[in-house]
Amino acid sequence: MRGLSSLIASELKITLRDRMGLFFTLIFPLIFILIFGFLMGGFGGADSAALGTALLSERDIGSLQEALKDAGAIEVVPFATEEELSDALSKRKVDFGLLWDGEELRFLYDPARVEGNYAFQQLARGISAEFNLLRQGAVPPIGIREIDAGGIETKGWFNLVVPGIIAFSILSAGLFAVSGHITAMKERRILDRLIVTPMRPVSLLVAVAAVRLAIVYFSTLITLGVSILIFGLAFRVDWAGYFLFVGSATIGTMGLGTIIALLVRRPASASNLANVLAMIMLFLSGIYFPIEVMPPFLRALSQGLPLTHMADAMRYVTGVTEMEPVRFWAITLSLLGIGIVLFPILSRYVVRPSRS
Amino acid sequence: MKGILLLSRAHIAISLRERVTLFWFLVFPILLLSILALIFGNTGGEGNVRFDIALVNEDSGDGFSGMIERAFGEMATPAEGGGEGIFSLAIPRSGQDRGAFLEEEMERLSRGGLAAILVIPAGFNDDLIGALTGEERPAVDLYLNRNDPGSRMAGGIIDQVIAGVNREILIRSGRLDPEGEVETKAGWIGDGEERPGYIDFLLPGIVLMGFFTAGLFGVPGTILYSRDVKILRRYWVSPLTVPRYVAGFAIGHIGLCTLQFGAVYTIGRYAFGARLDFARVDVALVLLLSVATFMAFGFLIASIARTPNGGMAIANILNMPMMFLSGLFFPITGLPLFLLALVYVNPVSYLIDSLRAGLGVGTAVMPGSLRLAVPLGWIALSIAVAGMRLRWDVER
Repeated sequence: MRGLSSLIASELKITLRDRMGLFFTLIFPLIFILIFGFLMGGFGGADSAALGTALLSERDIGSLQEALKDAGAIEVVPFATEEELSDALSKRKVDFGLLWDGEELRFLYDPARVEGNYAFQQLARGISAEFNLLRQGAVPPIGIREIDAGGIETKGWFNLVVPGIIAFSILSAGLFAVSGHITAMKERRILDRLIVTPMRPVSLLVAVAAVRLAIVYFSTLITLGVSILIFGLAFRVDWAGYFLFVGSATIGTMGLGTIIALLVRRPASASNLANVLAMIMLFLSGIYFPIEVMPPFLRALSQGLPLTHMADAMRYVTGVTEMEPVRFWAITLSLLGIGIVLFPILSRYVVRPSRS
Repeated sequence: MKGILLLSRAHIAISLRERVTLFWFLVFPILLLSILALIFGNTGGEGNVRFDIALVNEDSGDGFSGMIERAFGEMATPAEGGGEGIFSLAIPRSGQDRGAFLEEEMERLSRGGLAAILVIPAGFNDDLIGALTGEERPAVDLYLNRNDPGSRMAGGIIDQVIAGVNREILIRSGRLDPEGEVETKAGWIGDGEERPGYIDFLLPGIVLMGFFTAGLFGVPGTILYSRDVKILRRYWVSPLTVPRYVAGFAIGHIGLCTLQFGAVYTIGRYAFGARLDFARVDVALVLLLSVATFMAFGFLIASIARTPNGGMAIANILNMPMMFLSGLFFPITGLPLFLLALVYVNPVSYLIDSLRAGLGVGTAVMPGSLRLAVPLGWIALSIAVAGMRLRWDVER
C-alpha cells in the first residue's frame, strides 16, 4: 500500500510538472467549445437565418412579402439588383438569397455553407409553397400544430455541444494517459528501472489512473463552471450520476488507451494514433453535427464509437437531454467493465522492459 | 548551389524516412479530406438523411388521413436504385392500442430515440371536408424535441410533406391551378445552375492545412531537434553557412509540400470528384506564398521555443485555433467580435480566401490588398524575429 501511495505521489508530481499536458487537459476543452461552438452552432436549424432578396418585379409582390413574413424568424435583407444580392451572399452578409423577376422564384445558396444549406433549402421550399397558394388566394386546408415534446426545457445548441466536448476531453485524456505516458516512460527507460523493484505492473497503472481521474474531474468541472459563468449556460447536473459516469468513462477510455500502448512502442506514435482516433470520433459522434445527416455507413460506424454514447450519457447527467436510465447504466458499466477487464489483463504486457 | 541541393535532398529523404512525419504530411490530410467529404459531401441528399419518426392515425377510415399516411409511407420506402427512405416510420401494429403506442413513442421522442411524431386527430376527415366548404381547418399534431437538432430537421421535412398533401388536395378540389404556379429554381453562387460540390470548397482548405501543419510542426521540429542533438553543430564546422542551410532547407520543404499537394489533389480529384483547376499561374503563386508564410511561421516558433518539446507545444496551441478560425473547412459566419479579430490577424484566412478566389470557388471575402499584405507582413515579422532570436547551435 505504501508503494502504491508513493507511485501515486510521484505520478501526481510528474503530471503537475507537465505544464503543457495540464494546459491541454484544462484549457483545450474551453478552446474547442469557443471555436467549434460558434463555427458549427445551430447545425440543422435556420432560426435566425438572413435571407437576402432582390425583388425585381412588382407582380404578386404582396403575396411574396406575406409568404416571407410567414416563413418564421428569418431576417429579410432587401437588395436592389441580382449582382448586389450575389455579392452579399458570397461575402456571407446573408445566408441565402431570393430573386423574383415576376416569372420565377430563384433561391441562391452558397455551396460552402454545408452546415446551414439543408435548413435554408427547407425554408425556401416553405416560402415557395406558401407564395403559390397566396397568389391564387388558396388557403392550405391542413394546418400543423407544433408541440415541443422534449422532456427538458429547450436550451439551445450550445448546451448540447458543451457536454459533448466534455465527453471528448475525457476520451482524449483517457486515451493519452496510458498510451502516451507509459510509452514515454518506456522510451526514457524509467519503466525498466521501476520493473526491477517489487512494484506490481498493475500498481503503476492504478497510480496513473488515480491521478488521471483527479485531473479529469477537475478539468470537467472547470469546463462546466466556465460554460455557466462565461457563456451563461444552464445545466441541471445529477451529481451522483456525473461523478460515477466521469469516473467510469475515464477508466474505460484508459483501458482503450492500454491497447494503443500495447500496439506502439514510441510515445510519438502513441500520441499520433490516439490523436487520430480522437479526431475521427469527434467528427463522427454527433457532437457537432447530427448523426442523421451522415451517409448510412457512417451512421452505423457512429453507433459503434464509444464517444457517441459517452456524449449522450454526459448530456443526460448534465440535464440537457433525456435518456433511458437503462441505457445510461449500460454505457457507464460497460466503460467501467472495459477498464477493469483490460487493465489487469494488459498491464503485464504493457508494463514490461523495452524490447530493444 | 550543389551543397544547397544536397541539403534539400537530405531534408526530403530524412522527412520521408520518419514515419511520424510521413503520417502528418500525407496520411492525415488525406484522412481528414475523406472524413469531411464523406460527411458533408452530400448533406441532405437522397439516401444521406434518415429520421426515425412515428405516425399515429386516430381517425377512422381512409380519405384524407389515408392520403397523409400514404405520403409518409412513400417517404419511408427506399428510392428506386437502392438507398434508404428518408424516414424510418413506426406505426401502431394492427390491433395495438393507439393510446399506448403514442405514449411509448412520446417517451422515445423525449429521450432522443425518435425525431418526431405526427398525430392525425380523430374526426380529421370530416373536419377537412368542412374546411373545404368554409369551416375552420383541421390541424395535425407534430410533436418535436426542439432541443434536438435532428428533430428540428425532421420537423422541416414533415412540414414539406404536409405542404405537398395540401397542394394535392387543393388541386383535386379545384382551388389551385397547377398551371398557374410559378416555377422555383435553385442556384449556387460561383457556378450558375450547377451546384459546385463541397469537395471543391474543401480541397483547397485541405491543401493549405497540409502546408500549414508542415510549416508549423515540421520546421521548428526539424530545426530544434537538429540543434538539440548537435547535428547543426556538425554543419557549422563545414564551409556551410546559415543562409545556405536555410536555402537548402527551404527548397527541401517546398519539395515536400509539392509531394503532399500531389497526393491530396489526386485523392480529391479521382476519389471524390473535385473539378478544380490548379494549373494556373495565380493559383501557383498563392500556393507558393502559402508555403513561404507557413515556413516563416515555423521559423518564428523555432526562434521563440527553447527546446523541441517547447516548439511542438507552441505549435499545438496555435494549430487548432488558426486552422479553424480561417475558414479552411467551414465558412466563417456568425462569430463574435473577439473571435473575428483573430480571423483578421490570421494569415491562413487571407491565403485560403485568395486560393479559393483564384480557383473560382466563390468570390474573395477579404479585401484584395490585405490578402497579399497580411501574409507578407507575417513573413517579414517572422524573418525579423528569427533573425534576432533563433540560435543555430546549442549553448556551450
